[in-house]
Amino acid sequence: MSERVSTARPVRPSSRLKWLLTGVLFAVVAWAAISVEVEPDRLLELPGSLSTIFYRMFLAPGPDWSTLGGAFDAMMESVQIAWLGTIIGAILSLPLAFLGAKNVTSSFVSNVTRQVLNAIRAIPEILVAVVVFIPMVGLGPYAGTLAIGVHSIGTLGKLSAEAIEGIDPGPVEAARATGGNALQVQRWGVLPQVLPEIVAFWLYRFEINIRASAILGAVGAGGIGEFLVQALNFRRYDRAGMAIIVVIVITILIDLASGWVRRRIIEGGPVRRLTDRDLAMAEADTAIG
Amino acid sequence: MTAAAPATARPPRPRSSLLAPAGLVLFVAITWWAASEELGIGFDVGELIGNLTRGADILAEFFPPNWSFLPATVEPMLETFAMAVLAGLIGCTIALPVAFLASRVTAPGPITYAIDRGLMSVVRALPDILYALVFVAALGIGPLPGILALVFFNVGVVAKLLSETIDGVDRGPIEAARATGANRLQTVRWAVLPQVLPNYVAYSLYAFELNVRASFVIGIVGAGGIGNLLNTERRFFNYDNLSVIVIEIFVFVMLIEIVSIWLRRRLV
Repeated sequence: MSERVSTARPVRPSSRLKWLLTGVLFAVVAWAAISVEVEPDRLLELPGSLSTIFYRMFLAPGPDWSTLGGAFDAMMESVQIAWLGTIIGAILSLPLAFLGAKNVTSSFVSNVTRQVLNAIRAIPEILVAVVVFIPMVGLGPYAGTLAIGVHSIGTLGKLSAEAIEGIDPGPVEAARATGGNALQVQRWGVLPQVLPEIVAFWLYRFEINIRASAILGAVGAGGIGEFLVQALNFRRYDRAGMAIIVVIVITILIDLASGWVRRRIIEGGPVRRLTDRDLAMAEADTAIG
Repeated sequence: MTAAAPATARPPRPRSSLLAPAGLVLFVAITWWAASEELGIGFDVGELIGNLTRGADILAEFFPPNWSFLPATVEPMLETFAMAVLAGLIGCTIALPVAFLASRVTAPGPITYAIDRGLMSVVRALPDILYALVFVAALGIGPLPGILALVFFNVGVVAKLLSETIDGVDRGPIEAARATGANRLQTVRWAVLPQVLPNYVAYSLYAFELNVRASFVIGIVGAGGIGNLLNTERRFFNYDNLSVIVIEIFVFVMLIEIVSIWLRRRLV
């Protein structure tokens, strides 16, 4: 090893793209700031009105504890909507995930399936509820459940398809070598490898769907959202405060429980370990539906 | 290498754990609770299929889309976009210090860390529309409450993602910076920030993408933009106008996603 390592400074990468992007960014932000008509006086009132509403909700008169039961029941309805919606999404997404995995189907079929899944993902569930299901099945938890179910297909299908693409091909070859037909190969060669991960995705989606169903009430699809909208319409900030506390507490509790179950399921999982970052990405992807 | 014959006996079956059947029972119980008539939402597959077939008539009203309605949607659409841009900028800026305080690597002490983490999970527990509802109640309708709601949402998402990235940085540069006598802020600036900056930009773009989607939605509760218009058309049952808006939103979301993914690939 007599050759000397060059110590000259490496050439700086071209920064033209960087400058171009910075310029575009500035232009867009400037345009946005000008075009959104936010009255300056309202901006000045902002801290005042926010602290007033916060004060009324949580300090004086503070949350109306007599409505705790009602808020809790409404939240439970949201949880039920989320649960059933997740089941619908899970059942429908599983076959699509197999179709969307490149190592299971041809690249044409998987590309088409992925595009369909992306399209489903692109439409927020509240839009699905408002535009499709409320006109179809009327106001109430039904519409919310269906909207959540349909929207969940997009993300669940995509994540599950990616999990299937990451499997060890060994068991698949083994299943084929023993004469398994196409369906048997999937059932015994693929499914056992990915099921823990996919079930973890389902649980994660359930956590997200709780947030989604909490908001669906805002358009009349049942649950805690409806409770909150009514409280706010009547300026009952004490009730709104109660509702918000219930949403936060129940959501965090279910997150903790579901997170524990997910970790139990994934522990020793045959595929790669899901990191919190993967899940956070998945969540961010779907947080607003 | 002694030629030990490979064991051909079947390996013993792993002891089956009670956890799996318990989980199954729990699953059935929760599903029954959620779907039952008395305790839950009364989910009935037969009724559902009946509803869906009836709904087909309503869906037919969406077609053909009333394209003459398109010009009326341009302005609210741009407002939505502007809201997403501003909220993204403000939210991602706030998320940066929040994320640094929420990582064990960079938090100044366990108490700051715990408080910041706690605040982050509270912020993330509330969905964006609930923020929008509350801010609309406090500030009246318009884009301002919408922007605020999106800011909260963005801080939640970006701070969470970024703090987890910071947890995973290479410790070498941090030690090097400390060894040269850098204080805490200097260490963060020169040893940690350069490592996570590409991710930060990527997450911010990601949050912006989500913003675009979210800003359609929060308009429905009165927070400005195309959502407002959508809600009005829905109230008047103008389904042919509604389908124009939906198609537009769909195209817009896809476009933003394509651009954002391209940018993220270039940056990371």
